[in-house]
Order: sequence, then C-alpha cells, then structure tokens
Amino acid sequence: MDLEALIESVLNALTAGITIGCIYGLMCIGLGLIFGIMKVVNFAQGELLMLGMFASFYLVTGGGVLAFLGPYIGPFVGALLAGPIVFVFGAFLHKFLISRVSGLRTAGSIDDGHFGQLIVTLGISLILQNGGMIVFGTIPVTVRTPLSSSAFLIGPIYGDATIFLNKAKLVACVVAIITALVLYFMLEFTRIGKALRAAADNPTAATYMGIDVDKYYRMAFALGSGITAIAGGLMATYLSFGSFVGFDYVIIMYSGVVLGGIGSIMGAFWGGMTVGMVQQMSTLVLPPQLQNAAIFIVFLLIVMLRPQGLFGRSAERA
Amino acid sequence: MRIGTAEKLRRDLTILFGIAVIYLGVSWFVPNSYYQLILTLVPIWAAFGVSWNILSGYGGQLSFGHASFFGVGGYCTTLALVYWGLTPWLGIPLGVVMGAIAAIIIGTPTFRLRGHYFALAMLAYPLAILYFMEYFGFQEVSLPMHREHPVFYLQFTDPRYYTLVAVFLLVVSVITCSLVENSRFGLALLAIRQNELAAEAAGIDARTWKMRALMVSGMIAAGAGGLYACVQLVVTPDSVFGLLVSAQPVVMTLFGGVASLWGPVIGAAVLVPLSKLLDAYAGDYLRGIQGVVYGAAVIAIILAAPDGLFWTIRDRFFKPRLPAPLPAPSQVANAAVASEVTDAALMIVGDLSKSFGGLRAVSNVSFTINAGEILGIIGPNGAGKTTLFNLLNGVLPADGGTATLAGVSMLGKKVHQVCHMGVGRTFQVVRSFPRLPLIDNVIVGAYGAGLSDQAAADEAIRALHRTGLAAQAGMPAGQLSNKQLRLMELARALAGRPRLLLLDETLAGLGREECDDVLNVLHRLRQEGMTIGIIEHTMHAMLRIADRFVVLDHGAVLASGKPRDVVEDRSVIEAYLGKKWLAKQHA
Amino acid sequence: MLEVANLSVSYGGLRALTDVSLSVSEGQFVTVVGPNGAGKSTLFKTISGVVRPTEGTITFQGEDLLAMSAAKRAHRGIAHVPEGRQVFKTLTVLENLEMGAYPKAGRLHWSRTLERIHTLFPILAERSRQMAGTLSGGEQQMVAIGRGLACAPKLLMLDEPSMGLAPAVTDTIFERISQIHADGVTILLVEQRVAEALELSDHGYVLETGHVVLQGPYEILLADDRVRKSYLGLTEE
Repeated sequence: MDLEALIESVLNALTAGITIGCIYGLMCIGLGLIFGIMKVVNFAQGELLMLGMFASFYLVTGGGVLAFLGPYIGPFVGALLAGPIVFVFGAFLHKFLISRVSGLRTAGSIDDGHFGQLIVTLGISLILQNGGMIVFGTIPVTVRTPLSSSAFLIGPIYGDATIFLNKAKLVACVVAIITALVLYFMLEFTRIGKALRAAADNPTAATYMGIDVDKYYRMAFALGSGITAIAGGLMATYLSFGSFVGFDYVIIMYSGVVLGGIGSIMGAFWGGMTVGMVQQMSTLVLPPQLQNAAIFIVFLLIVMLRPQGLFGRSAERA
Repeated sequence: MRIGTAEKLRRDLTILFGIAVIYLGVSWFVPNSYYQLILTLVPIWAAFGVSWNILSGYGGQLSFGHASFFGVGGYCTTLALVYWGLTPWLGIPLGVVMGAIAAIIIGTPTFRLRGHYFALAMLAYPLAILYFMEYFGFQEVSLPMHREHPVFYLQFTDPRYYTLVAVFLLVVSVITCSLVENSRFGLALLAIRQNELAAEAAGIDARTWKMRALMVSGMIAAGAGGLYACVQLVVTPDSVFGLLVSAQPVVMTLFGGVASLWGPVIGAAVLVPLSKLLDAYAGDYLRGIQGVVYGAAVIAIILAAPDGLFWTIRDRFFKPRLPAPLPAPSQVANAAVASEVTDAALMIVGDLSKSFGGLRAVSNVSFTINAGEILGIIGPNGAGKTTLFNLLNGVLPADGGTATLAGVSMLGKKVHQVCHMGVGRTFQVVRSFPRLPLIDNVIVGAYGAGLSDQAAADEAIRALHRTGLAAQAGMPAGQLSNKQLRLMELARALAGRPRLLLLDETLAGLGREECDDVLNVLHRLRQEGMTIGIIEHTMHAMLRIADRFVVLDHGAVLASGKPRDVVEDRSVIEAYLGKKWLAKQHA
Repeated sequence: MLEVANLSVSYGGLRALTDVSLSVSEGQFVTVVGPNGAGKSTLFKTISGVVRPTEGTITFQGEDLLAMSAAKRAHRGIAHVPEGRQVFKTLTVLENLEMGAYPKAGRLHWSRTLERIHTLFPILAERSRQMAGTLSGGEQQMVAIGRGLACAPKLLMLDEPSMGLAPAVTDTIFERISQIHADGVTILLVEQRVAEALELSDHGYVLETGHVVLQGPYEILLADDRVRKSYLGLTEE
C-alpha cells in the first residue's frame, strides 16, 4: 500500500476513533456511575443502551413526537430525550429489583452482593433482549438522518490523502462531549452531585451526615441508565440495531470502565475513548470478524495486567 | 470419603439409577419425534448444569462462560468426524480431553481474578472464540451422515437411542459430582466458596482445588457439547459458544438448587421442556419467549428462593435428620507431655515490621513463645495485634524481620503452607459453613494439613472430644451458639495436628460461664503440651490462663513478662489509661 | 436533652449492651469510658441509628429516636464524629465540610459556621482544596470534627477521637473539643483514654462488657481505683 493511502487510512481511523470514542466514553460514564459508584455489577447495561436506541427511534421516526423537528435535529434531540425515559426505567428497575441485591442491604456480605447482582441483572438482560425481540421485532432499524451519509472533507493533507469526517458521527460526538461535561459539572459543583460522591465514597459516614444513601443509589443507577441511553440514542444515528445489539457493547463498556479505573467517572470516559480508538485502529489490521474479538482480548489483558486502570484507586486481584 | 457419607452416597446412587430407569421407560413410549428431542436434550443440558455446578455451585467461582468448554467439545467432536472420519464414540472422549486442556489454558491466568472480574473474564472467552470460529470459516459445520453404519457413528434412526446415550452421560456426570461432593474435594470447594481465607488458613491450597474443579467441570461440559453436536447434527458458533449457551447452566442450576446434586437436574427438567414447548406453540408470534422465561425464572428464584428449589423444598418439607452418634476416638489422647512450661522457645520473632503507607502497624516486634506455654498478647485497640498474627500466619507479607517455628522460617510463605508447618489459627470473626454439620466444619482443618481420610476423621473426632463438642457433631453449624462456634474454630485448628495455636479473640462476646468453659478447654490443651499464643481483651480471663504477657502499643512491644508484673507496670497502665491518669494517681 | 433508657443490644448472638441508661442535659459534657470490647462503639452506633437495639428507648428532646432512620436523625440536630474518622477520602476538605452541612440547619448560616470551623482548626482553611484521604490522622480527625460542627448541631457525639493518633495530637484534639464545649455545644464523648476524657467532662459513665458499672461527676470517678481495675482486669479480686 502506498504511503498516501496508508496515511489516509490511519488518519481516518484516528478521526473515527476519536469521534466514536467520545460516544463510547459517554456510554462508559453510564456504567461508571453504576459500577464505579455503586459497585453494582450490572450485566444489563448493554440492554439499557439498546433501550436508548429504541426510545430515540420511536420518538423520531414514523409518527413520532419529534418528527416535526426534521431529520437534522430530530435524531439528536431524540437521543437526548431517550435519557430521561430510560432514567425513569432505571429508577424502577432499581427500586423493585436491584435494591434487593445491593446497597446497604448487602454491604456486609462476603462478596458485597455481587453474586445476586450478576444473576438478577443477567435475568433482566435476558428479558430485555428477548422481550425486545418480541416487542420491537427482528428487523434491524436505524434512526435515519441525511447527516450520516455526508461528511466534511478535511484536506487534502499530504498528497491526496483526505480525512472524511462523517457529519452524523461528528454531531453525535459533540453532543456526547457536551453531555459528559454537563454531568461533570453536576457532580463536581452541585450539592446533589457532591452528596452522590459522598454516598459512593463512604455510605456509613454519608448516613451520619443525614444523606439518604438508598435514595442516592437509586439516583445513581437511574442516572447511569439514562446516560448510557443517551449514548445509545446517538449511536442509533449511524448504526442499525436490533434488540441484541447491547450484548456487543457490554464488554466494551466494562473494558472502558476498568481501563479508566473503577471509581473514576471521568476516567471511564477516557477508558471508553481509548477502547473506541483501539477498535477503530484495529480495522486497519484486522479482518471484520476479528475486530470484536480484539475488544475481548483487550478486556482480558486489562483485567489481568492492570485492573486498577489508568485513574483508578482500588483493585480486586488475587 | 467424608465421615457419614457412605449412606448418603448409596442413597443418592439408588435414586439416580431409579430416576434413570423410569425416565428411559417413559421415553420409550413417546412416539412424537419433537418430544423425543426434548427428552434427549434435558439430560444433556442437565449434565452441562452439573458441570457448572461443580465449579460455580460448590466452588463458588461464578463462571459466565462455560460455553467455552461446551463449544470446544462440540466442535472437536464435529471436526474430528468431518476431517478424520473419527466416530463420535471416540470423538466425544477426545472432546473431553480437549475440555480438560481448555480448562488449564483458561484457568491458569483467570484464577488470579476474583469475584465479578472472574465472572466477566470467563464471559469473554467463549465470545472471543465465537468470533475466531466465524473468522476461520466454521460458520456452520454439519455432521456428515453415515447411513451404512449409523450406530458406529453415534447416529440413530430411532431417536430414543439418543436419549439412552444422553441419560448415560448424565448418570456419569452425576456420579462424578457425587464422588466429588462426598470426598474432601467437595469439602474443600465448599470451604473455599464460603471463605477462601479461612480455608487457606486451615491449610487448603485454594488455587489447586479450583483448577481441579475447573478441569472436571470442563471435561463434563465438553462431553455434553459433543453429544449435543451429534444430536443436532450441526454446529454453529452461536449454538455452542453463544451467550445463551453460557446462561443455560447458570439459570438451570440456580433455579434447581446451587451446590446440590439434584439442582441442575431439577432445573433442566423444568426449564428445558417449558421453554421448548413455549417456543413451539408461541414461537411464531413471540419469538424469544425462551429468553424471557429464563430471565424471569432466574430473577424470581434469586429473590424468592436464592438457593434454588431443591434447598427451599428440602428445608420446608423434610426434617433434618438426627445427628448420628459420634464414634469414640480411635486413639487415646497422645502421651502426656510435661505439663510445666519449658524454656525451650518454639517460636521466635525478631524485629518483625509491617507498614501500611505511612502507618507503622507493627514496629520491630521481638518476642518468643516457649514450648508448652500460653502467651497472652494484649494491648489497647489498634495496637497491631491482629496484624501481627496476620504476618505470622502468612495472610500478610512482612516488610522486615524474622519469625521462625522450631528453627524454620514462617515468613514468605502462603497461608496454607504455614498451616502445613504446624500453625493453627483462629480468626476474630468466626466463619462457619452453616449448612454443613459441625464435624465437616472441623474436618476441613485436617484435610488442610494433608491428612489421609482415615487420619483426618480420627483427628476431627478427637478435636471434637477435646473441645467438648462431641455431642453436637452432626448439628449444622448454623444452629450452634456463639460459644460453640468459637470452640468449633478451635477444633478446626486442632484437627490439623498443630504444634502452635494462634488464637485471635477467642473469648470475644462470651458471658462469664461460657468464658470459663472455653478457658477450661485451653487449660486442658496446655496440660497436653500444646503451645498457644492468644490475643484477648478480656483481661480477667487472660490473667487466669496466660503464663506470660506481651503488651503491644502503637505496633511496638511495650512490656513483657509475668502477668502480675506487667499489669502493675507503669508504662502499661499509661498505655491503657493515659499519662494523665498516672499523674492524677500520684498527685 | 438525650435520654437513653434500659438499652440492650445484641447481634450475632453477642450481647453487646445490657440495660444501659444514660442522660445528657443541654450544655453538658458527658463522657463514656471503658476498656476495649465494653460496648462503647455499639452504644454510639445505636444512638446514631446504624444498629438497632433489642430493648430500650432513646429520646432526643422528647422525640423517639428509634422511630427515625439513621439519616433522619442528623436532621434533628445530632452530629456524629464516627470512630476511625471516616472522612470522605475522595472529596476535598471543603467538600467534606459541605457534606456536614447537608441538613438544612447547616446551610442556614453556612458562611458563619464555616468561619467558626476555620478559626478552631486553621489547618482546614489551609488545606481546603486538598483531598481528605491525603491528610494525616490528626488532620483527618479535625475534618471529621469540623464536619460534625458544620450543621450547627445541638448535640455533638464523638466516638473515640483519639484512636490511632499520637499522644501529642490527641492532646490538641481534646483541647479543641473543650473549646467547642465552651462555645456552648452539648457534647457526648466516647473514649478509651480515661483521664483526658473524664477531666474535660461534667459527668462520666464507665462501661464494662456491656454494663454501666460506675457513673458520676468526674472528680469522683477520677479518684476511684475501680476504673483502673476495670481496664486492667482486676475487678474480680
């Protein structure tokens, strides 16, 4: 392959990596809130992503509520609105199911209740995946926007090498970054955000301060669900998806969160970004079937070699 | 075999053969080939569930990726037939061997992880393999039909024969599981599951046992996978490596009863027909109903009956059997050793240190424990006493210093290795295996010290007699009182024939009389020549039992010597009550 | 103000407290001392709501505390400085103090309260932006106490503030606690270090294996040799 084409491939992979990486980052923040803050192992996080995609889909297409916004703005507003919808869903999930196997109730037990969490969320995952197939059908869909088939051209750089910046992905990336920043500000500077961090840091002490830890855990779970759903809604603009799409992304999310370091929410963002980059760069060297396998290998490597991640505080190694 | 299991083994095997015969009898009369298929699949999935149960049920190592082994077996059998013409009668055993190899390859790196990391990592393997399989072009591999000699190739025109083979596979699996359950293997797994640290302290090499469990588990799963391929006559990556395949044994065993022989069988018997029938009747307009049913079943079970149907039913309807009377110890107590305290040092600690970050938890601690004496280790809260024991016992690595037992270094060793040296340890928080009878809780200590089955049984019985617990030998540990639990920990440590006992707050939370009972046991042990180091806060008890004291404060040795002297020592009083107190007394 | 009557607590088969009664009047400084394992922390945790008693009552300003969850008790004006400090390690010093002011009472005159805390513990003002987990033990104790003061409490409860601290640092801490009391805050102190604790207080209780074995004004307790015996195990003689 000549140098120009190589450079073009690499640059495009990099750009795709960054744009998709930001969206993955947002997705991982959602899991970071749940896994990192609440220390709850949520097997169904991929399904929350999927619900976000479908929520956005139904809001925007057909006789959807947002049809009036047109195909340029609609899909992205739909993605954002998917957040609150899944937020509420997550709150219910927590209230009726997750809270029974997590939080102060299981804080003293040998494995912090992880066994129960894994099983319950496995069950939820199965129900959502298969139930989703029943409700949403088996034909893959997508949230169409003309932006996904047009791109900004940057260049030519170095001869004829040009970078194609897909517009839909770019907008999605920007929305993802803004959402992440909003979340960051909320956590850092508002009273609720600080209380959330306090409850995660030391639930007993937080209770002494008068913080209702159960309520905040529910909020964290719902927030984590909603954030991941927004990421899903954004991904819906350039992917086609069915009810089983979530399962591909569970490993990506865990890789990102572990890489970024458990307990660091913003670390999860960088972790997700890195995983996105790895995935896009792997398209340069690996055939399509193996690209997904590459993610799993990366996950295994991270968990074996550096479980505390880049920004993390604690590790759970033998 | 473990004590008291011979009868259980016989009973279980009888039930097993009975069920198998009845099942085959019923299946003989089922004409419809779709129902026959279900009848064939139930034992195959049940065997898969049994395999998962060994590692994740008994052993507590939750695996979400058992499809790795199932798929290895499936593909191995299939590819051997396709490329080498190897009959599945040999191909399935070959798959079983591959399953064992896969277990070693997967287990070696992955057992370094714990808890949910382990489960997630296990999840990743079959999914990665799945993608590799697709890449290598093994999208859909059909088993070639051999119409000339079908039976030779494990292909039957009459589907009932498949059921026969499947039941045979299940019987073999259940027998294996039963042998595991009733031997020290099973006990080791249960101990590891309940509290790996306490199991290690009792001398169990967790790493080795977990690997063995994974190998047995992988072998059975591969066998099930191989047979599955023969029945379905086609394998695809998703059908044997997919997520739903990994979920099957988990759901089935959880539903039916974790860590029980019959759990996976019950689970398979209920869930497989249920989902297949639902699929058949409602599958057209409710595609995916199988997954929904599994998901709902799993959630319902974990919330309502977290141990599974088997245990819930057994606890509700079957009264616990009366504990069998304990046989007398087969040896009289070992020859009486001199009951005075000797000056021969058994354990010598020199300049032992440990820091956590900036905090010196143990600071240049030196002392000795003489053979046959009881040394009391006391000091205000946070003085570093338990940390000291953790260093001696192998739970924590020391930063510096020495500790020797009869001249051999105790440092730099793993917990079970220190135990093998002859050090028994009890912990501040008692860990028992509540469902197991007391004798099993105790015999773990003997297994951990490497004793043979007979010797272990003897030591366990002796230990129970020495601690006065003989009458409760058959009682589930969950029903024991606090004092009895503390004595159990002591018995467990004794069963390993230790030369030195390290006891951590054995008297905590006991009332006056209970305290006296335990102290009497310790007296007797000392008379028999046992050497004991004991951490305690209950001062008046310590004054009665200890030959000498070592006082720790802020991680360093403050004073040591005869109890009366130490208690009157000014620096000790100051440590407990504060400098100003002393000043006031003399003001 | 605070009335504990006939409190008994058991958990896991252990009898931690048996028939314990004590009372704290407004403006008082009450200390509970006792050797390790006496049940002091259990008492503290029961009053704050983390542990439930099997028998007995606890009332605060006439209200039944047992009817409230642990989180709600903080909103009533009871502040806790728990054993081992339990600061929020990943939050800054200032954020820790802000968390102390989570109840509405705390937010009311926040800047004034914050100033008072900074006057008492100037080092907290210096290290405002530092993560609490990186502070020394003594500094963390100051954060914990400051956090307790942040909600302008009616009753400040401290559980073994001297634990794990060097003697010199402990002296400083006790000095400040005394100052806080002088400012008008009612204090309930649970401590292992007898002399310092009793000296500062108006009234003291001695706990041993879950029972109150001795109580009275501090001069009487200080002179009583039974206190020493209860710590060093010679009560049986």
